Formats: sequence, structure tokens, C-alpha cells
Amino acid sequence: MKLYRPATILVGVLFILLGGLTRLATPEQVYDEQNMKAVRGTVGEVLQYGGGDSTVKVTRMKFAKAIVENDEDKPIETNGVFVAIEWDTVRGSEKPNNIKATLTADGGTVYAPIGLTNSGMDFPEAGFGKTGAVIFEVNPSDLKDLTLNVRPTMFFNTYNSYVLVDLGIPGDDIAQRMVDEAAAQYVLPRPVVRVAS
Amino acid sequence: MESLDDVIDAMIADRVIHRHRRKWLIVIALVVVVALVVLATGGWTQKKGRTVPTLTAPTTVESGEWEYNFTATEAEIRRKPKTKYSEAEAKLRVYFDLKNNDSEEHTSKYLDGRLVRMVPGGGKDLVESNGADCRGELGWVLVYGLPPESCYTEFDVAPDFAEEVVELGILGNRYESDNGLLGADEDPYWHNPVPDAVVRVKTKVVVDGEDE
Repeated sequence: MKLYRPATILVGVLFILLGGLTRLATPEQVYDEQNMKAVRGTVGEVLQYGGGDSTVKVTRMKFAKAIVENDEDKPIETNGVFVAIEWDTVRGSEKPNNIKATLTADGGTVYAPIGLTNSGMDFPEAGFGKTGAVIFEVNPSDLKDLTLNVRPTMFFNTYNSYVLVDLGIPGDDIAQRMVDEAAAQYVLPRPVVRVAS
Repeated sequence: MESLDDVIDAMIADRVIHRHRRKWLIVIALVVVVALVVLATGGWTQKKGRTVPTLTAPTTVESGEWEYNFTATEAEIRRKPKTKYSEAEAKLRVYFDLKNNDSEEHTSKYLDGRLVRMVPGGGKDLVESNGADCRGELGWVLVYGLPPESCYTEFDVAPDFAEEVVELGILGNRYESDNGLLGADEDPYWHNPVPDAVVRVKTKVVVDGEDE
């Protein structure tokens, strides 16, 4: 029995050529992530999260120079400034992915939430709404185009969407004014769950 | 159809294999035995000695995405005496100023406890820290672009731990990508920590309850 007949070799070569052709035929990548759709909005807008019927809304943004977690505790201070983002989420029937919230600024800076128990963003049980706050420590000189990025944490790269909330800081002068007017301290509210109406 | 030549070839091949079968079996058995002996005697690690600089506090170490500034010359061995309900415990607490130096991604993050380790010496395993405690919060998230925060990290040590000088190993992540040939994403990110420096710090003993 002969293993390497000319026909066998020809088929092999054909497969290699086919592989090259498919690579040439792939379209140019337009998006950074082809499987993610961006849902854009502003403060106060109800935005659909993760393709399902759950929604996310940013109700208020506050700047503060210190954070108080409990009334008895000493306030936590910062060399920069704290940004508190108060949110309102409503969970639909489909279970949404967990939220990973970050703030991004114009220059590519990424801010992560501070690790306090009540600083975070999540969904209640189906049919309920929840309000709470997430706190970020930020650099006061790097706030232009501050955007809240609400991403689903995914184990597989399936088609999904993420929420971008423009927090309305178009320039450094406005950022500076907001930092100057920052509250002396911000009391971190406990998350509250209610029946979604 | 098989020709006679093929059949004879197969027979000869069979003979050749069988003729040396015992020798092959002995060789394979020997290899297995040698492997077991090497494993049992502690593996095939090459002892290289220390290849990173040894510094003495106060000193500054830039390592990966972090900058450590060991300003305090003394670390604390914090002893918790035995009580009726709990065993005696001790922790080694080291103070430093920590700065987020992530000029690649400009991302705020917390210090991974695996990046700062205690080097007990004498061939013992390194002890991982518990990360950085800054502003009274363990795992405080440090922002890129802000000035350094004063932090401390703690190690679990034996209750009778009394070294006068401890050595800390500082490991730094590298901003590099995975191998795209294996199908991984080729965008670089911070990972693959390697040792960057060893810092020697003097210690003093603090008994819990006296100081706080």
C-alpha cells in the first residue's frame, strides 16, 4: 500500500491554499470587539443592558472630597477626588450577566471602583428594581469625556452589548469647576430594592 | 494484494524487533527508575543563587506597574498573645509608600499579594503577603496619576518569629503579549511576574493592644 500517492499530496496542497484564501477573504476588522454592541446614553436615560429586558440608569453623579461608609466610621480621604455615581437597575425575566463598571477618560485612563462593601453595581431578583451607588477615586486633572462603562462579565465570547453613559464633562474647565465644587463628604447609601413598577 | 516480498519484509522486521526486545525493556525500566529517583530526591532544579539586587531600606523599587518606596526603616512583628479562646499569633507588617506606575494602560488597580513575598531563607518557601492596606482598607484601589499612598502589607509568621532582619522579594509583572501562534489574543497585558529586587528591613516587636 502506498501512502503518498500524487493525488493525496495534491489534496493536501489544496487544503493549504484554501486556508490562505479564507484568510485573504476575511473582511477588515472595523470594530475593536466584533461581538459587542455599544448602547450609548446620558445621565437620566433608561438604557437596555446585555440584550435582555434588564435596564440600567444613572440617576446622579456627585463629586466629593471624602467618603463616609457608616456614620460612626472616619471618612476616607483622597489625594484626588471621589466620583459617586448613583444608579437604578431593573431586572427583567432573563438573568443578566454580572456588571463590571469602570470609568474611562479621554486619554485612555481607566478608573476602577473602590473596594467598599456598598460601592458596586448589580441587579436584584427578577421583577425588582434596585438603587445604589458606585464610588471611583479619580485624578482631577484627567476627567475630560468621563464615561461610565457598564460591561457584562462573560465567560464565552458571545454576542452581547455594553452600556456607555456620557457623564457630561466635555472639557477640562468644566471638570475643574466640578472638582472645585465637590462636596466635603459623601455618605455612601445602602442599596435599596423595590418592586419594579 | 500483498506480494511475497512484503511478507518477507514484515517477517524480518518482526525478528529484528523481537531480537532486542529484552534490552529495550531494560532500558525503558531504567529510565523510569531514574525519573522516580530524581523526583524522590527533590527534582531537577538548578540552584542559581540570587540574581536580583539586594537593597536595604530606606529604598525605592520600581517593579512592573508599581513603585514601592520603603521609607520606614523598621518592620513590625505584631504579636497577639495567647488567650483563653485563641492561640498565639504573629504577623509581620511592613510599611511602604505605593504608587501606581502603570504608564501602559493608565488603569487603577489594587496590589496583588503575590507580588510582595517574604524570603525566609534557608531554602524555605516564600511567604505571600496579603496585598496592600491603604487608607484603612485592605485591597485599596490605587489610581494612576495620583501621588503615592502610604500602605502596609502583612505576612503570616510563626508565633515565635523573631528575625532581626527580614528580606522581602519584590516581583514585577511584565507588559507583554501571549503567543498568537497558539490562538491567544496578541494584545499585551500585565502578567508573568519575575523577581526584581530583594529589600532588607530591620524589625521590632510590637505586642498587640499596646500600640493601638
